[in-house]
Amino acid sequence: MTPPAPRAAYIHVPFCHRRCGYCNFTVLAGHDERIDDYLRALEIELRGLGTPRPVDTLFIGGGTPTRLPLPHWARLLDLVARWFPLRPGGEWTVEGNPEDVSFERVSVAVERGVTRWSLGVQSFLPWKRGFLEREHTGETIDRAIESCRQSGAQVAVDLIFALPDETASDWHSDLDQLLARPVQHVSTYSLTLEKGTAFWSRWYKGLLQPLEEDRQAELYLATRRRLRAAGFQHYEISNFALPGCRCRHNETYWLCGQYDAAGPGAARFVGGVREVNHRSTTTWMRRLFAGDSPVAERETIGAELAARERLIFGLRRLEGIDVREFEEATGFRLDALAGPAIDEFLAAGFLEQSGTTLRLSEPGILVSDTLWPALLG
Amino acid sequence: MDRHRIRNFCIIAHIDHGKSTLADRLLEYTGAVASREMQDQLLDDMELERARGITIKARAVSMPYRHQGTEYELNLIDTPGHVDFQYEVSRSLACCEGALLVVDAYQGVEAQTVANAYAALEHDLTIIPVVNKIDLKHARVEEVVEEMEHSLGIAPEEVIPVSAKAGIGIDRLLAAILDRIPPPEGDAAAPLQAMVFDSHYDAYRGAITYVRLRQGTLSRRDKIRYCGTNRTYEVLELGRFRPKQEACESLSSGQVGYIIGNIKSIADVHIGDTVVLANDQETPRLPGYQPPKRMVYCGLYPADGQDFAELRDALEKLSINDPSFEFAPETSDALGFGFRCGFLGLLHMEIVQQRLEQEADIDLVQTAPNVTYEITTRSGEVREIHRPQEVPDAGEIAEFRQPIVRVNFIVPTEYIGAIMKLCQERRGVTRGTEYLSTTRAMLTYDLPLAEVIYDLHDKLKSATRGYGTMDYELLGYEPADLVRMDVLVNGKRVDALSVICDRADAQRRGRAIVRKLKSEIDRHLFEVAVQAAIGSRVIARETVPAMRKNVTAKCYGGDITRKRKLWAKQREGKKRMKSIGKVDIPQKAFMAVLDTGRQSPDR
Repeated sequence: MTPPAPRAAYIHVPFCHRRCGYCNFTVLAGHDERIDDYLRALEIELRGLGTPRPVDTLFIGGGTPTRLPLPHWARLLDLVARWFPLRPGGEWTVEGNPEDVSFERVSVAVERGVTRWSLGVQSFLPWKRGFLEREHTGETIDRAIESCRQSGAQVAVDLIFALPDETASDWHSDLDQLLARPVQHVSTYSLTLEKGTAFWSRWYKGLLQPLEEDRQAELYLATRRRLRAAGFQHYEISNFALPGCRCRHNETYWLCGQYDAAGPGAARFVGGVREVNHRSTTTWMRRLFAGDSPVAERETIGAELAARERLIFGLRRLEGIDVREFEEATGFRLDALAGPAIDEFLAAGFLEQSGTTLRLSEPGILVSDTLWPALLG
Repeated sequence: MDRHRIRNFCIIAHIDHGKSTLADRLLEYTGAVASREMQDQLLDDMELERARGITIKARAVSMPYRHQGTEYELNLIDTPGHVDFQYEVSRSLACCEGALLVVDAYQGVEAQTVANAYAALEHDLTIIPVVNKIDLKHARVEEVVEEMEHSLGIAPEEVIPVSAKAGIGIDRLLAAILDRIPPPEGDAAAPLQAMVFDSHYDAYRGAITYVRLRQGTLSRRDKIRYCGTNRTYEVLELGRFRPKQEACESLSSGQVGYIIGNIKSIADVHIGDTVVLANDQETPRLPGYQPPKRMVYCGLYPADGQDFAELRDALEKLSINDPSFEFAPETSDALGFGFRCGFLGLLHMEIVQQRLEQEADIDLVQTAPNVTYEITTRSGEVREIHRPQEVPDAGEIAEFRQPIVRVNFIVPTEYIGAIMKLCQERRGVTRGTEYLSTTRAMLTYDLPLAEVIYDLHDKLKSATRGYGTMDYELLGYEPADLVRMDVLVNGKRVDALSVICDRADAQRRGRAIVRKLKSEIDRHLFEVAVQAAIGSRVIARETVPAMRKNVTAKCYGGDITRKRKLWAKQREGKKRMKSIGKVDIPQKAFMAVLDTGRQSPDR
């Protein structure tokens, strides 16, 4: 039996004006002259699908998709819509930097079916944006949000907290300004020092001191408290949404559903196999132009590993997992997979169970990365 | 070989004063080694010795030397310079009639120079004083000669200035060796009597015995007997070291060489034993050596519990050529199965550990070293204590004794105050101060060995900007107010972290240990209490607070595999850590007890 085709697709656009100090994504900074080549390569990769694949969710991320000039922007959207036509009622998200998100650009997107904009605001405070090496201003943020609102697209905003020396009042000021704007979805990330970033090497040389753990925890809890009070649901470790406004595309990842992908560094999960395209944009292009596969890594996820992933990523969704449903879907008994660890975490109050639902408690959310290794067997 | 044409000597020097370079130069000048075969430090053939520039085991080499028409045989018996290997030093001294006492023309007389010179005098050796490195820009030859006069009573006119590196003064030195060192005594026609001064194991030829003939003659095919084991062998091969083994037909009184005789195990060759002819029941045994005393013990555990058998094999292999090192299995609640190992000193311990890691590729967890203590119990029984866990309850102890050593420090005079402070803090008793010259002095203190092994050498170096040196000899055991201090992690005693210390120091050390452990133990999901205690009394406590936040921010399609692999890696790392109760203790933490809580004097 062939598994049903994926109903979600991700497209990666690697271009950026410059690489920010905290970013380790697949990006190509300062090489806009390759945009034409990129679109040609993407077309080759998509043509490999053979026939168009209708999907329920589409996500165009980056990099900075809005780095593309308007004519290319339109070409990209047309190309994606041709190979991954959106089904009725579908969700199509594009990521953008506020400074690029003009009314015109939003209109071009919405005309082609885009329903949702994810804006890389990062902070409403100038000092934080300066630290993060972001170039937009408060005005461009408001212009971008307003453009989306006028064209009828939903607005999601990314915010970063726990910068070195960030105070509680800094973060509350960010949250105040967020809540004063027509935003339906918020992703908040504490500043993470990833290997390979400029910040990581500054930290390594002792030039950058991360915010102290206890204060990070306070900021995280404050976010949770304030956004929930404002009517948002905290539905995943880093994600908050007004009712009905969750990111359905990302939920597919967390529920271990299938998804297709195209673009450099993009990951797909189809038929129990996870593949990642080559992370180097030039290699990805070269391979496609030469008629070779762009895939750099391929891993078959066996039944047990799939079950464990589903357990962990399911628990990262704060409504948790339904144990009966989980056992039916995976064919594994939860006890057999991780009984002792789960019992221990229940006893310690990091997990809670009600009926057949198992989920993280608030203390559990805060230390959740310490719990996952034990659930991997 | 006529014994009157033989000279047996050793070279004694402080580390880095150029002993091995001088040996190389002698080999070259006598023609024992062609210059094209020369490589630096020929005698130090152990890789580790080369890497560290020091000699660990004794070596021997025979150099044929023609002087004014006469053929001589010069036997150089190389000695280790470090105090840990005093035992090896005394073995080589017993085979010589003379010693070259080498002093660096810039560094001057150092503590080991004094210690080794006195050892040579005790063995009645003729000393030829040598000042080396006279070509150095900063050489201060006259002052150094003055220091030798003051510290060792050497007549200045006897000192031979050389540069081993540049080849200056080597001919004059060779002439002095022939003139001043007496030829060995002992009649070549008398019954064989040979001293065993070393041995090594060869995978193809079995145990190879190093001997110095005291009297008589030994030939191939002779039947010989080792007095100690009373075993007899036929001499299959004998020869000299030039410097590689070179077979010959016979060796006679005064000569130094080797014997191969189908000896299966190195254990059958006792250092200090006497070799005689098999049918000779008359010739007496020579006085043997003091067996080496292991002064420092530590536990060695495989980092991964699986490698116990591998570690045992590696230790066995190592001990074959290093009889001064001993080991016995032990178990620890914290570390599992491992070995209690005894060493001559700290350097010896470090070398054995490095060899295990380099040669056998085994990851080790080492517990903090301790010295050998003695306890007399209330019932009158005397016990040797090799590890803190063996200390009985306080109520059972009548007297607790620790080894005391006499330490000589040689330092530039401006650092005398710093050394006095170091020693007073460690309950040292001063035994005198002697000025070697206007700028350098020798201080003598009696100190507990435990204080010396922990950090004294490092502290001396930092207090004197590297200029101070020290050497010590064991005086004996003295009673002291000693206690066993335990470390508890969340109320559970971690046996491998217990230490024996002076009651007066317990508070300070306890605080230092728990502070150090706090910094080594990662935050857990729960609070971790780290305590130091004597008996049931807690004397220091630190708390590792519970983890507050550890949560990945982004996790989308492309991150899933990466995150999962990261978590799997963390899970493996956790499995490798030693855990007490539910607390994971990193391996590094087991050395935390070395932190004495004393500030460096220069800070």
